[in-house]
Amino acid sequence: MNCDTFLACLHPYVDGELGVSDALAADTHAAECPRCRSVATDERGFRQIFRDQPREPAPPELRRRIVVRIRRASLARALRPWLALPAVAAAAALLVVAVRPFVERPAPGVIAELVDKHIAFAQIERPAEFVSADRREVAEWFRQRAGLRVTIPDYSPAGIRLVGARIADVGEHRAAYVVYEKGHTLLSVFIAPAPREADASGTRVTFRGHTYATREQKGYRTVSWTEGGVVFGLVSMLDYQALLECADRLREERAAETRL
Amino acid sequence: MISEGASIRWGTRAGRSREFEEVALVHLDALYRSALRLTQNRAEAEDVVQETCLRAFRSFHRFNPGTNCRAWLFTILRNAFLNRVRGAGREVHEGDAAEGWDALVQRSAEHRPGGGSPEEEFFQTVLHGDVDRALKALPLTFREAVVLADLEGLSYKEIAEIIGRPVGTVMSRLSRGRRLLRRALGDFAREHGYVGEPE
Repeated sequence: MNCDTFLACLHPYVDGELGVSDALAADTHAAECPRCRSVATDERGFRQIFRDQPREPAPPELRRRIVVRIRRASLARALRPWLALPAVAAAAALLVVAVRPFVERPAPGVIAELVDKHIAFAQIERPAEFVSADRREVAEWFRQRAGLRVTIPDYSPAGIRLVGARIADVGEHRAAYVVYEKGHTLLSVFIAPAPREADASGTRVTFRGHTYATREQKGYRTVSWTEGGVVFGLVSMLDYQALLECADRLREERAAETRL
Repeated sequence: MISEGASIRWGTRAGRSREFEEVALVHLDALYRSALRLTQNRAEAEDVVQETCLRAFRSFHRFNPGTNCRAWLFTILRNAFLNRVRGAGREVHEGDAAEGWDALVQRSAEHRPGGGSPEEEFFQTVLHGDVDRALKALPLTFREAVVLADLEGLSYKEIAEIIGRPVGTVMSRLSRGRRLLRRALGDFAREHGYVGEPE
């Protein structure tokens, strides 16, 4: 290797990117040629400037934010395959009830009653009036029995099994219950006409951009919201996180049906 | 009949986030540092890094565990950054090099320590002011090569993969970028004993 060829491969040499034989040849030349040796030393000196710069870490807040977003995306991904609904269930309107003035949160009286019904189902041998694990069958039952189009969310990816359905009288109205089971824990999704009067009780919780009312009653947790004159709610002994996930799922499935 | 306080698990696919955290997020610091150098702006760097991680996570199933995760992440980072630059109407030309030496000298002369914007002040606490200015003044195509090679220690091959060019292009960009840096940082290097006095 001469000075020209040495200088031509100076950068890869200093960067340790030369092959073994070229690197040896360059070493040999540098040992023999003081000029080239000094050029290489300076080049290393410049590299050192960058190595000496502080290596600041990513802000902890950024890391936290990313981890949260990824875990959330991961959850959404885990559930997405079940989002697609059978075409039969695609018929437009979801629940045929008189549209009432928009009420942000359902009145405690109605919710309390809805929860009491759920507790009553949980005590009896057959919580569901109509027993079926088939969402289409359950939707069809509601349609024939009460003229209701009800979204039957699929919670099976979370190990929550559809048990069946029930219609109950709540105050002057009828409420639709979709009954699920997680192990031996019962979960009801109820849908009822929203009460006229606004409600001030319960704790407001925002989850993925939606506001819910949460309340605990006799050891049962409820997550509910009102949309277009209809109260949607979930009641169970499952924890709030699970109920909120299920509520979010129901919203998504309803939105998907509406789009179809 | 009722088990109190039962909680739920959302299936095994949710475990992917943990795997991603273990395999990919160990490179977060390096991604952030590089994003800072590329964007020259802290908030923008955070946005780019966040976008990079989310995009990477979405296509994580396509990532082959045997391959280079760091290079893969940097590729996504680079695309995220370039999309932003293009979106903001700032064109990126291969020929950014034309800016070259004159612009470098001029900008170095314009920016004296202590008189910068809050962002500049911030950077000065992170990189040495002279080093930061010299790096900032580099055309983007050279800057990214230098940042990846000299600040983050990536190999030519990794950089080639990231910028989607042959190794030869990486070498020529590094060589030109470093030459500009050497000229801008000559005094600094001598004053701080990084290089000897010229003969």
